Amino acid sequence: MGTLLMAAMTTLVFCAPGYPGGAGDAQPYVDQFAAVTAASAGWPAGSLAAVYDPTEPGGLSKLASADAALAFVPFAFFVQHGTELHLTPLAQADVTGVGLQERWTLVAKVGAVTGPGSLSGYTILSVAGYAPDFVRHVALAAWPLPPDVKIESTGQILSALRRVAAGEHVVALLDQTQAAALPTLPFAADLKAVVQSAPLPVALVAVVGTRLPAARARALQAGLLKMGHAPADADALGQLHLKGFVMPQLPKVSSAP
Amino acid sequence: MKQRSGAVLVALMVVGCAAPTRRVPPQQIPADPVENLAAAIEADAKRSDRETDSKVRGELAAEAGQKADACIAREPQAAPCLYGRAVALGLEARAHPVRAGELLSTMLGSLASAEAADPTYDQAGPARVRALVLLRAPGWPLGPGDADAGLLAARRAATLRPQYPPNLLALAEALAKTGDAAGARESYQRATSAAQALPDTEDRGDWLREADEGLRRH
Repeated sequence: MGTLLMAAMTTLVFCAPGYPGGAGDAQPYVDQFAAVTAASAGWPAGSLAAVYDPTEPGGLSKLASADAALAFVPFAFFVQHGTELHLTPLAQADVTGVGLQERWTLVAKVGAVTGPGSLSGYTILSVAGYAPDFVRHVALAAWPLPPDVKIESTGQILSALRRVAAGEHVVALLDQTQAAALPTLPFAADLKAVVQSAPLPVALVAVVGTRLPAARARALQAGLLKMGHAPADADALGQLHLKGFVMPQLPKVSSAP
Repeated sequence: MKQRSGAVLVALMVVGCAAPTRRVPPQQIPADPVENLAAAIEADAKRSDRETDSKVRGELAAEAGQKADACIAREPQAAPCLYGRAVALGLEARAHPVRAGELLSTMLGSLASAEAADPTYDQAGPARVRALVLLRAPGWPLGPGDADAGLLAARRAATLRPQYPPNLLALAEALAKTGDAAGARESYQRATSAAQALPDTEDRGDWLREADEGLRRH
């Protein structure tokens, strides 16, 4: 009974700040994912719940709940909040059309930015702008940014790129999908990729603190790693544009100065 | 291979933008077959808005699509049919999120045709719904969402029918999304005033509530 009670309280919090989607519309898909994941892990049916929040404050609020034992978050979120939330990676997502890792690309107006120093006074706009530690110390680790560079979050990356092309003092940090689509823009000739990150994980499933007993975490990890190999999982994964999971392979991240 | 998604969670990107449509009192049944089909599509949209079962929403989307096809077959250039087809496509996008990007692009095409045929149809509905789709759909490169273009469309709707509260609400949403909080607040206030000048109906209550929520956010 005690085990069942504990099982019933396990929640997986999906949070993807800056990306589109509303919690209500996403719910059926995360519900399906939770059901399939629990089955793959050998957990009792109904013992894993899932919720989605598209905002950073909303995600953090949900992760503060005692039953939020698992997080499914972009790598940027993990870098920004992993320490304070005591996140321990359990599995790394293999994303359809992207893979296990992606590179982030800094895009500037042609001729405007020649090196990190020339970014003085600029603002970096990015879907990952909510995670300045990620932007500054991971995605742009090779480019030591001047201290006056501002980092802002935006879900309107097209508007951001228009501002870049118009010559405003802004640059855009794009994820791999956005960077790959740059040539489709009518003003692509006005833009230039000036630096690219090393390959970085796209998203992770992590345990929150000690809220999940080690044995259950191991079972869940094994279940996640199996997913993608069974045809029955394909629908639940496909709805989330996932192919499966592998063991986490995290890059070494330099700490903030 | 075409890149589909920058992050997993993007797939949660389901469209939250089923097109809000005009509301016709249920007892008012248009005699014209085209208007009749348009009203039936609208009824499907209203039911879908309140439906929580995704299977039922899928069925409603399919029904609305059939009615839109029938309408287009009768009068391919009529604004009610083009507008109805756009609404039906919005329902289908919500029911089938994996295909939402493609469906919403087609929806925007239908709205452009409807606007060209009769920009004042449904109180400037084609421009208003276009604005809402552009504001709420996933943005580039995942979908057709474009806040700047959404603002232009919302301004068109509000210019054509400045006293219709949903046009002012759409304009407020567009201004908020493009960073003009003061302008958004002013539009929400104008929407409140415009709605208060109308008779007390369920729609009026919804508009006042939406304006009030907007004012509290901005």
